[in-house]
Amino acid sequence: MSHSATSHTAPSHSAPSTLKMGIPIPNSKLGLWLFLGTEIMFFTAFIGTYIVLRLGSRGWPTDTHDTHINVFLGGVNTFVLIVSSYAVVVAHEAMAHRNFAKARSYLWGTLFLAFVFLGIKGVEYYGKISNDILPGHIAETASQSIQKVNRELELVVRDRFYDYTSSGVVKTDRPNDIVNIVNQISALPESTPPEGIDADTFAEYQVTAEADFQLFREWMNLHQHIVANVSLTQLSALPADLLAARDALKEGQKLPELTYEEVAAKLQDMKSNEKYGSYVSSGVFDPHPVVYGNIFASCYFLMTGFHAIHVVVGMILFGLVLKEGTRLNGTWTDFVENSGLYWHFVDLVWIFLFPLLYII
Amino acid sequence: MSHEDHNTHHVNYLAIFIVLCVCTALSVAFDVLPMSKPLTMVLVLAVACTKALCVMMFFMHLKFERNWKYVLLAPTTILAIGLPLALFPDIGASYYTPTAPQTGVWAEEIREYQAHHAAKAHSEVP
Repeated sequence: MSHSATSHTAPSHSAPSTLKMGIPIPNSKLGLWLFLGTEIMFFTAFIGTYIVLRLGSRGWPTDTHDTHINVFLGGVNTFVLIVSSYAVVVAHEAMAHRNFAKARSYLWGTLFLAFVFLGIKGVEYYGKISNDILPGHIAETASQSIQKVNRELELVVRDRFYDYTSSGVVKTDRPNDIVNIVNQISALPESTPPEGIDADTFAEYQVTAEADFQLFREWMNLHQHIVANVSLTQLSALPADLLAARDALKEGQKLPELTYEEVAAKLQDMKSNEKYGSYVSSGVFDPHPVVYGNIFASCYFLMTGFHAIHVVVGMILFGLVLKEGTRLNGTWTDFVENSGLYWHFVDLVWIFLFPLLYII
Repeated sequence: MSHEDHNTHHVNYLAIFIVLCVCTALSVAFDVLPMSKPLTMVLVLAVACTKALCVMMFFMHLKFERNWKYVLLAPTTILAIGLPLALFPDIGASYYTPTAPQTGVWAEEIREYQAHHAAKAHSEVP
């Protein structure tokens, strides 16, 4: 094919094309909307899964006594995000009108409200953590509640005993050997200070030793009853006594089983003890069973956690604009618009999380 | 371009903001007022959808954008709705199986089943 032949049919490269390909919005905005498309699916996966799990789980916890959900704080946070959304849309409008000082002040307001949102969320999280409303920590049945009390009481006892072993008042090569340690603690009131421990410090340990030994005995008694699954109304659950009690049973009879109510009452009793009650109160959580409590906690922390991460990302975006200070100019208009779109999406997610998690 | 579109459509953002605040107050009111659980659920989700529409249409300017918004958002919306619908028959209808009893009801049924079989086995012993 000759060059002259093609030159007749080929369009002139110098003439501007009248065709406009693609979507009539800036590339950055198109990219942001595509990203928001993936974000919609990301959050819908969580929200949809939550709805499905909840519909499939009869008896899902809704009582705030069980979930420690604070509707008031959730409502305040919804309001905070709505105000911040309003602030960012006004900031974008100000940017479009080249009123950069106004845009800056509204963006500062948005950033401040984002901090408020995270602060309130922190208070809510603290409320959950301080009540052990965490995935995998919640007892769902009466027997799980009993086991939980047993585990946490053991930790309280071991924590108390650690004071003695770490200070050298009780000497042991095996810090986990609780029987050896408890024997030494029970003998402490009649002992003399070991080498390297002054008399005053030792005297203090002699005072607490009695209460700690009593705490150990109470826990061990409960532990024996739990292992044997025998009611606390049976005075002893020590293996030898238990075997004797079982031998004494007639055919068809059996020892009464341990119930959650008994354990809860015993725990309350221990918490109100003058000597060691404070240790039990701070170390053993309210053990009442919450059916589906763990899956609820998983959903709650997953959804609100990812939402909080998005809030932090939004704060970084606004921070990038605000670091320009008085140099803020029209070249940032698209960036503010895109950051605003992202922020509205964060608000949008919360609009659905609030009723789903806090109200329904 | 989008800025021109935006500037030609003046939106009273303050009015939208007030509508959103009123909607939030309504959500809390529906929770506090004594009414049946399903009704509360419907009302609260209806309010949430209204708020979402307000934010998307006016704050995110989707009301004034051209048809590209449908091209971009329709597939994700369809997939987003499809996921819960796809999960529902397997998980939503029966999440926990009888071999992993989690509720008191299942635990009770299994205890009854075991007691029944234990009694049956006992009676068969010569």
